[in-house]
Amino acid sequence: MKTIPVNLGIEFCGVKFSNPFILSAAPPTDDLDMLKRGLEMGWAGAVLKTTSVEKNKVELVYPMISGLSFENKKVVGMGNIDLISEHHIDLVEKRVEALKKEFGDERVIAASIMGAKKEDWQGLVKRLKAAGVDVIECSFSCPQGSMGEVPGAMLAQSVPATEMVTRWVKDAARKTPVVIKITPMVADIVAVANAVKKGGADAICASNTIPSLMGIDIENFIPNPNVAGKTTYSGLSGPAIKPITLKVISELSKTVGLPITGTGGAVNWIDALEFILCGATTVQFCTAVMHYGYDIIEDLCEGLAFYMEEKGISKVKNLIGKSLPYIVGHDDLSRKNRVTSNIDLKKCVRCGLCYYACQDGGHQAIELGRDRKPEVDEEKCFGCGLCQSACPIDGCIELKESEKPRKIAIV
Amino acid sequence: MSSKTATTLLPEERRKGFKEIHRCYEPHQAYLEASRCLMCEDAPCTQGCPAGVDIKKFIRKIRFHNLRGAIREIRKANVLAGICGRVCPQELLCQKECSNTEIDIPIDIAALQRYVADVELRRSVSPPVRQFAQKMKVAVIGSGPAGLAVAANLAQKGYEVTIFETEAKPGGLLAYGIPPHRLPPPATQKEIRYIKKMGVKIKCNTKITDIDELFKKDFKAIFISVGLPGARKIGLPGENLKGVYTALEFLKDVIENKGKTKKTRIGKRVVVIGGGDVAMDAASCALRLGAQRVDLACLEGYDEMPSSPEERRISWEEGVEIHTRVMPVRIIGSKGRVTGYKGIGIRWRKPGLFVPSNAIPIPGTEFSLKVDTVIEAIGQLPDTENVKGFKRIETAGPGYIVAKKKTFKTSRPGVFAAGDIVNRGATAVQAVADGNAAAEAIDAYLKRKSKHRVTSNQ
Repeated sequence: MKTIPVNLGIEFCGVKFSNPFILSAAPPTDDLDMLKRGLEMGWAGAVLKTTSVEKNKVELVYPMISGLSFENKKVVGMGNIDLISEHHIDLVEKRVEALKKEFGDERVIAASIMGAKKEDWQGLVKRLKAAGVDVIECSFSCPQGSMGEVPGAMLAQSVPATEMVTRWVKDAARKTPVVIKITPMVADIVAVANAVKKGGADAICASNTIPSLMGIDIENFIPNPNVAGKTTYSGLSGPAIKPITLKVISELSKTVGLPITGTGGAVNWIDALEFILCGATTVQFCTAVMHYGYDIIEDLCEGLAFYMEEKGISKVKNLIGKSLPYIVGHDDLSRKNRVTSNIDLKKCVRCGLCYYACQDGGHQAIELGRDRKPEVDEEKCFGCGLCQSACPIDGCIELKESEKPRKIAIV
Repeated sequence: MSSKTATTLLPEERRKGFKEIHRCYEPHQAYLEASRCLMCEDAPCTQGCPAGVDIKKFIRKIRFHNLRGAIREIRKANVLAGICGRVCPQELLCQKECSNTEIDIPIDIAALQRYVADVELRRSVSPPVRQFAQKMKVAVIGSGPAGLAVAANLAQKGYEVTIFETEAKPGGLLAYGIPPHRLPPPATQKEIRYIKKMGVKIKCNTKITDIDELFKKDFKAIFISVGLPGARKIGLPGENLKGVYTALEFLKDVIENKGKTKKTRIGKRVVVIGGGDVAMDAASCALRLGAQRVDLACLEGYDEMPSSPEERRISWEEGVEIHTRVMPVRIIGSKGRVTGYKGIGIRWRKPGLFVPSNAIPIPGTEFSLKVDTVIEAIGQLPDTENVKGFKRIETAGPGYIVAKKKTFKTSRPGVFAAGDIVNRGATAVQAVADGNAAAEAIDAYLKRKSKHRVTSNQ
């Protein structure tokens, strides 16, 4: 096998990252010792958990985390009712200084901020700049609590507010790159992202958690997490929201033209690569680290490097947005595509899941023959892909081009 | 536990021939198994691996879709990843403390290791780049797992390593002692080819009788891993009859002739004497060669047998009749050929000591089996003449080499030894572990020596 030397380094808003993987603003970045441990393990940078001015009271509640399980898998999604950091700018600026002193330019130190008034935002920016921060991220999308006039509303749900606050921050930040973290919970995310661009930000962080109700204890009717008998809506993160993140990143890449740091649902290097292929330059991690630990960075780097070696791609830059040309509007998809389902009987375990799916959710094209052997009637098959999704064996069912026209019986 | 799993052939299917009994995982199966791993913080599996493979890490790498990282991680500690993935008694080692046992069944660590090794060898990935060449020659006598591990490690460190092997094919007991259904010869040879790619030279059909010759040929250090090629015999009346074989000669015959025999002849009714893995292998081979009934008679009780529980279960499933706590009395014959086996039940004089001298026959429990073939599988011995011919090397008993623990130094400077010839018979993975440690010791010795030479020249 031939391989080529690869470099995982990437530039984002003029800042050099040793690899595209960053710790996002979250509990793993809210303690100096933890931060040092994570950065030593190889994370290219960290966004320190969102901080605010000293007079802003942050009162957390516990328990704050609930996992979403599906069948035998835990933490398919993770919900939190955490707030921004309890630690104010006075402590965070010291952390930034300490980390810059220890890691220099080897690691990128970013900090996330949130304020209510103009002077809060600008004050935070100035103090972080003085501490030597590399990038300033602004949380316009914390789904819990609120610092604006409308309770529970996020800043990034208002287009004019987004543009105005972005401008305040950028005016204060000057040369320091400003990244705005937005929410996918809006009707028109492109409008919000354009406001970010108009406001003068350097990049977008897409996107934050999804407001959710995590589930209910059916014995006592109290939803999770149960805080002394009451709950509130959680911010959902983790693998469950990855498809939403991919949609947001690709949509913004195609329309807005600002660099993107992707976040929301990546666990392994393949997920991260998908973010990059949709247009992200760097990828932020939180839930995966909280679940499996900082050391997943090793497999993120190795996995991506091996992939690039084998693909003959030497720079991460060359992967950014590579999938975008293949994403179009529904109207632009070919109406002539004629595929049908093909089942590899050598791989088939005769479970009949494809039969079930086709009978009750498809076009009754699959029948079970002798010995529970599934057979596809090509003339009835629409090639919808449901059987392939349901089949437990990878590569057992393939959709292949078909010459046979389909025969439709409408009852 | 049922024997039908995704990767294990059914007993009926197994008995038909020498097909490998465990299939390699398909990618989705490996991923499924890896994702069952709890990735425990203290990873008891890792602590249970004699070679020190970081099991938690390699399984995590499979789970996080980093197969190349996974194999690299395994080979760092065990160059014979695919071989050990097949022959390790995992239920006694890494798997023993698996936390998943408390939930359902332990992770099939060996199958995962074998999967990544097989995937790598199929894609013919080149070994890691050698370190700076040291230009010093090291000789390794014997190409079993200890010898291969030492050679691979030293080659990585830049030494010029040559392995000398008496037999026609490298691998020692891996090549001549483990039947194809457990370890297919192509799997062994593929992994040995990988070691050759690392820069190791292997000279087969070369028996070393004089180590001074090697020193004269400018080898700066010698590693002896000649193993135990001799078969122990019980010394029974009737042992010289036709139809009595040692397991070693039988297994070698089966392996060399790809599932047939030339020098040994298996009849319709076979008794295997012994309770170790070799006995299990001999019994399962006899079944595959058409024996209608195979009995296995051993001194130990079912839970006292030295064979691995998995091996025992597999033989039992295939139909081997196991007789426990019995000892042979004589082999009966007629016209120079075996016609029967006579044994007697025993009890132990001292509990917990499972050796013939501790067995007391129980009168009235005599029994006999009508057999035409007897296979003795009661252990192995050194090639006494060969080992005792190595000058100034301290030996014990019939020719076991005495070597220091941890450094594997023998009584002669510059000569090291490990593997079965030192530990008197242990697992392949133990031989690899000892080989790894010995390589470090040899490296340290040679570095010290070359430094010394430089200073003395000044």
